[in-house]
Amino acid sequence: MISSVRLKPLTWHPHIAPVELSAATPEQLDAMKVTPSAKKVSEYVRTLAHDPESCLARTVLFNAIMYVEGGLPRPDRELGALGASMVNGCRYCAVVHARQHAHLTKSDALVTALYLGKPEMLGERDAAIYHFASRLSATPSQATQDDIATLRAVGMDDIEIIDLIHAIAIFGWANRLMHVLGHAQSATSLPNHQPGT
Amino acid sequence: MIDAMDKAAGLTPGNPVFEARRLRPEFVQGTELCRLSVLTPQHGLGLETGLRIALARRIAALNADEILIADYDAQLAEHDQSGHLLALSQGAGDLDEPLATIARHVDLVTSTPSKAAASDIARLTEAGLDIPQIVALSELIAFVNFQTRVATGLRLMRAS
Repeated sequence: MISSVRLKPLTWHPHIAPVELSAATPEQLDAMKVTPSAKKVSEYVRTLAHDPESCLARTVLFNAIMYVEGGLPRPDRELGALGASMVNGCRYCAVVHARQHAHLTKSDALVTALYLGKPEMLGERDAAIYHFASRLSATPSQATQDDIATLRAVGMDDIEIIDLIHAIAIFGWANRLMHVLGHAQSATSLPNHQPGT
Repeated sequence: MIDAMDKAAGLTPGNPVFEARRLRPEFVQGTELCRLSVLTPQHGLGLETGLRIALARRIAALNADEILIADYDAQLAEHDQSGHLLALSQGAGDLDEPLATIARHVDLVTSTPSKAAASDIARLTEAGLDIPQIVALSELIAFVNFQTRVATGLRLMRAS
């Protein structure tokens, strides 16, 4: 019996000073406003607001890719994000999207398999998504037409595959911001040893 | 209308992948706005467009993306008529500062992002980049790595 992996959220701190709200230009304030959690602007958003044009454009695109209605189910987008984040070595993003996946599917099974390095435990559809995410995230990409054929074979249509490509690719972007511009703290994966029954 | 991503992925109207991509207008428009925001921003923060295109070409090469390499080569020819950014764009290592430090950072973050550390940001500061420039450079590097992956995925769909 494999014990399940539960991940605690990490905190992120930038290597450079974020924009202070009191000193922000109108353009920076506008760029920061687009985020879903407008109450408190995170250090991450305030760091990227130093370049408000790209910050605004990327936030709009990121939200569309992760939350647009229809097409690829949310957990599959989270799996694409997780697979990319593992290849790119962004621990912070990996934990966020592993937790999202567990939350949306109400199961730790997939996250447990990946964090224990046992992707062979994944079901057919999850395995197809995970392997494509890993190969597309390599530099240069190692993805092949066989990967697309496998995604189609598990039932994915063109729009779902387009959604998946974008979910993976946007983490080729986000990971290169988060892991490069700051660091994650208090990493704890808690193996939850359940007594055998 | 064909946009930069269609061009990179070899998509034309009538192609099933071209048409499927239009079912996600948020992605089509969003990607193009992002491209403009990192390559030809209204406020360049001291990083000129020629430099941005040269770095994008260098990143495309690290990703072995022949189509994007050719596309950025063509753009660079327009923006760098003196040719002083050619070596940088083609992956040279022996460059003047701050280009040497910028190139090192671009290569590191593109090829092995997991190895990036606080000291790499400190190097950029020591080379004379200010904080907005470090952020703008980071977004540019990250965007081209996004762009090549979307293009690669769409090309594979088109060919399958």
